[in-house]
Amino acid sequence: MLFNTTTFFIFLAVVLVLFYSSPRPWRKYILLVASYYFYASWNPKFIALLLTLTVIDYTAGMWLEKVSAARARKAVLILSLTANLGFLGFFKYYNFLGRNLALLTGRPENAFFLDIVLPLGISFHTFQSISYVVDVYRGQQKAVRNPIDYALFICFFPQLVAGPIVRARYFFHDLLDWHSPSTDDVSRGLMLMTLGLTKKMAFADQFARIANDYFGHVAANPGMLTAWSGVFAFGLQIYFDFSGYTDMAIGMALLLGFHFPVNFRRPYLASSITDFWRRWHISLSTWLRDYLYIPLGGNRGGRWRTYRNLMLTMLLGGLWHGASWNFVIWGGYQGALLSVERVFRGDRPVGEGRPWLYPLKAIVTFALALVGWVFFRSANLTESLAVLRQMFAGAPGHILLEPWHWGLAGVSLVVALGEEHSEWLERLTKAPVLAYASGLAVMFFFLEMFGAFDVAIPFIYFQF
Amino acid sequence: MRCGLVCLLAVLGLFGCDALLFRTPIYPSYLEPDSSTGQFELILRREQTAQTLNGDNLVATLGNSRFAYAPRLSNEITFRTGYAFRHAGVAGSDVRTWYYMLRDLDPAASRYRAIVFGLDDFDDEDGLFDPNDDMRSLHYVIARLRWSDAWDFARSFDSRRLQFEALRGALLKGFVYQADFRAFLSDPRKRIDYVQLCRRGYESWTYDYVETNNSLAGLEVDWSAWTAKYPPGTDQDQRDTIRNFLMRKPAPQIGRIANYRRLWFGRILDRYRGSRTRIIFIRLPRGPLPRPDDAARKASGSVLEFAARPNVLLCDEHAFDSLEHPELFRDALHLNRDGIARFSPMLAEKIRSMLGPSTQR
Repeated sequence: MLFNTTTFFIFLAVVLVLFYSSPRPWRKYILLVASYYFYASWNPKFIALLLTLTVIDYTAGMWLEKVSAARARKAVLILSLTANLGFLGFFKYYNFLGRNLALLTGRPENAFFLDIVLPLGISFHTFQSISYVVDVYRGQQKAVRNPIDYALFICFFPQLVAGPIVRARYFFHDLLDWHSPSTDDVSRGLMLMTLGLTKKMAFADQFARIANDYFGHVAANPGMLTAWSGVFAFGLQIYFDFSGYTDMAIGMALLLGFHFPVNFRRPYLASSITDFWRRWHISLSTWLRDYLYIPLGGNRGGRWRTYRNLMLTMLLGGLWHGASWNFVIWGGYQGALLSVERVFRGDRPVGEGRPWLYPLKAIVTFALALVGWVFFRSANLTESLAVLRQMFAGAPGHILLEPWHWGLAGVSLVVALGEEHSEWLERLTKAPVLAYASGLAVMFFFLEMFGAFDVAIPFIYFQF
Repeated sequence: MRCGLVCLLAVLGLFGCDALLFRTPIYPSYLEPDSSTGQFELILRREQTAQTLNGDNLVATLGNSRFAYAPRLSNEITFRTGYAFRHAGVAGSDVRTWYYMLRDLDPAASRYRAIVFGLDDFDDEDGLFDPNDDMRSLHYVIARLRWSDAWDFARSFDSRRLQFEALRGALLKGFVYQADFRAFLSDPRKRIDYVQLCRRGYESWTYDYVETNNSLAGLEVDWSAWTAKYPPGTDQDQRDTIRNFLMRKPAPQIGRIANYRRLWFGRILDRYRGSRTRIIFIRLPRGPLPRPDDAARKASGSVLEFAARPNVLLCDEHAFDSLEHPELFRDALHLNRDGIARFSPMLAEKIRSMLGPSTQR
């Protein structure tokens, strides 16, 4: 059940009606059942996995609060982490490890192969579970007493399959002290859902056609401009796809009275890679910062340790996206860029510098991000290298995008710049009725004229 | 309350934008001339113009690409027949699209002396394809659909998915014009120039068009074994049409085409009830070689039922059998230059004999 399908909107409408027409104590049960139904509509078998992890981490949380001995607490934490990472490792990385082991030991590539289906959203709900258990362990979060509350935290359908990765304290704050959404919340929710759907169907899916065509036939599409335009199309696809999904998730959560954190803040306007990672998939980058980078020592152990920690964090962040060397390289590339930036920037705050240099910095950052996307999108390393060869040493080639694609990109740039300086989308939700309705109507019209209704392109992050 | 009002106004705004762009002449005047909608609109406009340039002896013909004749050749004998022929047929179209074409081409149902429909067969033979679910109809007639047509037009499709698509398109035309609109945005100047060129030249390009003289001379079919012997030099397109149309295996006869014809021809006939316009049905030359009559058990002949109506005329089914020769067809479906050269005056003479002498005012 994809967010951009009629089936999903019917499902959401039914959930909203049931939710608001039921007595308040029933509402979380309705959300829980709806969330499991949502998950089961993809593959009911994995409900068992979701339940297992829920029981393990709920129990771990309870134990952590009961047990006071440091060693016992550590043991509980390790048990929980082992279970979470064990499942994630098995489902996501077993075949990757098996293939590499086979290559190392000279066996056939599929010697250890198992026909494993990756459970939808496992990377997201595992990280969410881990953050809860670690927070309870650190004493930053009280263990949740009611198993229904905890189960809902893990499987809440707006963010179950592709985030944002919500911290327990935010979720339980809303759940345990639930209030009907304010008019502002509903306004924002509607705006975000419309914006998200427009981003996905009118922008991401249109750029996806170009990107899929290019990356599906790299050898047949030689040329420098061809490669850059194919990668550019993917760069826009992945942003609009993922941020569109996130906007919809945040929007529908608002309609249900929950407040999710912002996950994207116009990342392609970033003035450096460090800035980029403060704007891109913020819930993951802050998770990596809080549960990996800082525990590794962060920037407290001197320059070389900082670089090492940055590299390790980004390598694992890359691997989190998928079980392939390409993702590892992508993560390594990001880590290397962050480290190099750190070398030049020293301890100066991000974003400081001459304002007139900003456009150049933003363009360079965007280009560096595009180079990274080559590894992210290519099927394998050979293909990545072929694309990079074309980008930097190919014949001129031709531009894959049609003028109206540039028009879409231009519109999004103008909207992003406006949003960056005045947050006008946010202000629009509080504007007079006619102004707000006009804004929505423009989005509807974009959806009508540019929405890819003839193809079903899944959300990219559903595969993670 | 506020959010409900916002949503309502936003939806109205969407309908307003869509209507402003696609329900006024602004955008439909600049449709890509080579698209289905663009072709349909060019033909409609061409025929609207032709109405102003001709007297009241006009005969309009409607059909798909199989109704291949040259009005120019038919009109060369106007001095004898007394009628001026205009062809409003559109390749790939069918009776559902002709209904909408005629509704706007002849709003008072009185402009033509006769409207001639060219059909493959008077009997109703179902093919494998469901004509109700031919989505091309939506693209042909989109510029002609009104708000009031939306529900009825959508219901004329069988599958739920297509009904939804048709309803959505009929209500918000932008969904159908999407590809055309994006192409327009890519190079508006080029589009406008091309549209203007087509407007200037379309009448003469089509009126003076001369068909290719390729033929299927030498084609032989053994109907007992359903095998064809292709003449030397037959290209792939010709072979495909022979295999897919001439040699097609009969489909189960379930009365689908009969219902379809009864519905849409019925509507056209209702529009012309009591009008001076005669509705004429002709059976087109069936192909380079006629298929065996018993290939399919045709249960009905809806067109034969229409003959009972006062202003309906049925041309002799066998009037054009003499053209069913491989040397007169460029492929299994279409007459070639020689075929058209023979068919066009034959058609004019036949219509004249059915209508009687023209009494042009």
